Amino acid sequence: MGLFDRLASWLGLKKKEVHVLCLGLDNSGKTTIINKLKPANAQTQDIVPTIGFSIEKFKTSSLSFTVFDMSGQGRYRNLWEHYYKEGQAIIFVIDSSDKLRMVVAKEELETLLNHADIMHRRIPILFFANKMDLRDSLSSVKVSQLLCLENIKDKPWHICASDGLKGEGLQEGVDWLQDQIQAMKT
Amino acid sequence: MSSSSESNREGESSKWLDAHYDPVAGLNTFSSCIALADLHGDGEYKMVVGDMGNGPYNMKLKVYKGTSLLSENALLDMPTGVVAFLMDQNEPRTPAVAVASGPFIYVYKNLRPYFKFTLPALEFNALEKEVWDQAKEDKIDPLTLKEMLEGIRDKAEIPLSVRSLRYLMLDPQEMEAFVNTYKQLPLKRQTVITCMATLKKNMSDKDAVCCLVIGTENGEIFILDPEAFTILTRVSLPNVPTLLDVNGQYDIEYRVTVACRNGSVYILRRDSKRPKYSIELNSQVVGLLRVQKNIIIGTSQEILYGYSQKGKRLWTVTLPAPIMTMSLLEQKSRSIQTVLVGLKNLEVHLYRDKNLLSIISTPDIVTSVCFGRYGREDDTLIMTTKGGGLIIKILKRTAQFEGKDSSFGPPTRQSIKLNVPKKTKLYVDQTLRERENAVAMHRVFQMDLYRLRLSAARAYVKALDASLSPVSSTMQEPLTLNAIVQGIGPHFKLILNLQNTSQNRPSMQLLISFLYDERLYQLKPAFFKVPLLVPGLNYPIETFIECCSDKGISDIIKVFVLKEGKSTPLITAHISMPVSEGLVVA
Ligand SMILES: Nc1nc2c(ncn2[C@@H]2O[C@H](COP(=O)(O)OP(=O)(O)OP(=O)(O)O)[C@@H](O)[C@H]2O)c(=O)[nH]1
Ligand SMILES: [Mg+2]
Repeated sequence: MGLFDRLASWLGLKKKEVHVLCLGLDNSGKTTIINKLKPANAQTQDIVPTIGFSIEKFKTSSLSFTVFDMSGQGRYRNLWEHYYKEGQAIIFVIDSSDKLRMVVAKEELETLLNHADIMHRRIPILFFANKMDLRDSLSSVKVSQLLCLENIKDKPWHICASDGLKGEGLQEGVDWLQDQIQAMKT
Repeated sequence: MSSSSESNREGESSKWLDAHYDPVAGLNTFSSCIALADLHGDGEYKMVVGDMGNGPYNMKLKVYKGTSLLSENALLDMPTGVVAFLMDQNEPRTPAVAVASGPFIYVYKNLRPYFKFTLPALEFNALEKEVWDQAKEDKIDPLTLKEMLEGIRDKAEIPLSVRSLRYLMLDPQEMEAFVNTYKQLPLKRQTVITCMATLKKNMSDKDAVCCLVIGTENGEIFILDPEAFTILTRVSLPNVPTLLDVNGQYDIEYRVTVACRNGSVYILRRDSKRPKYSIELNSQVVGLLRVQKNIIIGTSQEILYGYSQKGKRLWTVTLPAPIMTMSLLEQKSRSIQTVLVGLKNLEVHLYRDKNLLSIISTPDIVTSVCFGRYGREDDTLIMTTKGGGLIIKILKRTAQFEGKDSSFGPPTRQSIKLNVPKKTKLYVDQTLRERENAVAMHRVFQMDLYRLRLSAARAYVKALDASLSPVSSTMQEPLTLNAIVQGIGPHFKLILNLQNTSQNRPSMQLLISFLYDERLYQLKPAFFKVPLLVPGLNYPIETFIECCSDKGISDIIKVFVLKEGKSTPLITAHISMPVSEGLVVA
């Protein structure tokens, strides 16, 4: 990074670019969350199940995020691994009201963590225990237990309960992610 | 076999995810009373269960969403079949639920009672009616009524109504009250539904409108219109249907496969007033499924059969335990159809045709099995157990069923092509030459062969004359001799192995002597008396040879085996002595 770039980023003129993968089962709320993180004027009203993937951008105080919003449907999940190399951080969204498929989320997470392109990297992972507003949803503690997150020893991770529709809990998570990425770079 | 089933078991945990297990869900049901459907049109598939409760009480229609119970509706009678089906083209296209129970089909829409279909009444026995009429007018007392009804039951062609049959089961003190309750009501004879299935009306889509197909206790099959609930088709069977499998479309062509209580399976087709084909089994059918064009039948004798749709037996598999239930596992994403068989030994076996693909162990005996889309997961396996438990497993996205295909056909090796080199010019020329000069070549070969044989015979005769061969040829004394020289010189050890090869005649009075150049070698001893030779045993005879020349030359030593009193030797052996290395070195 040149002196000018560094100065510019220090002054907040030009932000660092990071590539983030947004993963999780279908209907977990990935697109809803990414949509909520975008500036109000860029948000869409109707969210439909993602086909394949879509690329979204949003900014925080010091970073510029490019998000690969992957489709979580079973038939598209084999696409995820093609983007692992490019990802510098992962957002993993869980529908905390879908108790039945918690095992499926766990299975996909394990597959992700054991992938050659992820396994040996200290890549930060942010978990959203989404849909916390629903009556029968599980707490973020319970979700992290069910997914055995305590077994992730070699990567920084963080879980927050979230409501993708109202946007609650999203800021906390993204702040954590920003800190991690900056700590990694410098 | 045991090793293959071990490997199937091992692979089980790598194929299924344990999504949910509630050992006390309190579900008492059978595979025919479970249906999976997107009841609310929200993409989240629910499970509808006709729960038998505990015996005749607490029968309920339960709806599950994910791992929890969403709603319950009380049922008046034992459910014999539960299906979810689209009745009409109206939007939103949410399926209705039909519950067969007694002579009725209760139809629910949005989980609320919507319509009740009643089977048409049957003709009743005129005599029976007369008897009840008399009871109504109090002309006969309950005991006489009982006797008369029993008389009718034993003779009549038209069976008694349910009312009379129940009356005959009563204790005498209960009879009066029963007569008083029922005598005013008109006599009706009605049959009950034993099984139910759906049949697409005129489209093959996933969300096509479906007719209901029902089997009844009086041996009939009905096909009902989904909107008006009129009877579209009515077919009589030789026996009582218990299991149904339907495919095709009502308006085009369909097949109804029915298993009956007499152990026969009948196949009905569109426009056939009578069963088209029948399969006779010598035991009760406990499971019936169609997989592609084949019919898979499980019987009470722990056997699984595969039949063609024309009723020809294709294969048989013997199972390790009695069958509790059977269901189809259809993986739509891969268009795979296999059969799930729940067994009494706490296992669920998965078969593709007659090949066992996988074994799932269960904590309790499984009484119902259902596979399909549930929640938002396409490949979900739902099982309920004898103890009322609910087990939900999800097939992994990456799971592969590798059936060792034990069926016939050429082994794969047979189809591997051999790398045969091209014919060279030399090869072609040679072949041509051989073809043209075959006779001449044969003659040359024959002549050489005769020459070879002649010289061989000559050499043999010469050897015989001189008794040079190491094998004695005289019939009286069949012997073999072989000699070994050990050592590097100047001292050698000579070992002669002498063996009597006759069957049972010992050799006696044999002598061994040597002929050699005395300037070169010294032998001690140089003469032996051979002991009696027992047939078959090997006699090693040792002697020492000393080479007295230091010029590095060697010679032949001749060994003779002689018979006492005969001048010609029995065997002669020539031993080429090695050069005495010891002297050369020294
Ligand atoms: N109640 C509630 N509903 C939510 C929440 N977040 C998302 N949803 C709903 O969940 C549904 C699925 O959301 P999507 O954002 O499309 O899910 P996705 O993870 O992108 O799904 P795919 O693109 O199919 O992988 C939508 O109907 C959202 O309105 C939440 O926090 N609470
Ligand atoms: Mg999406």
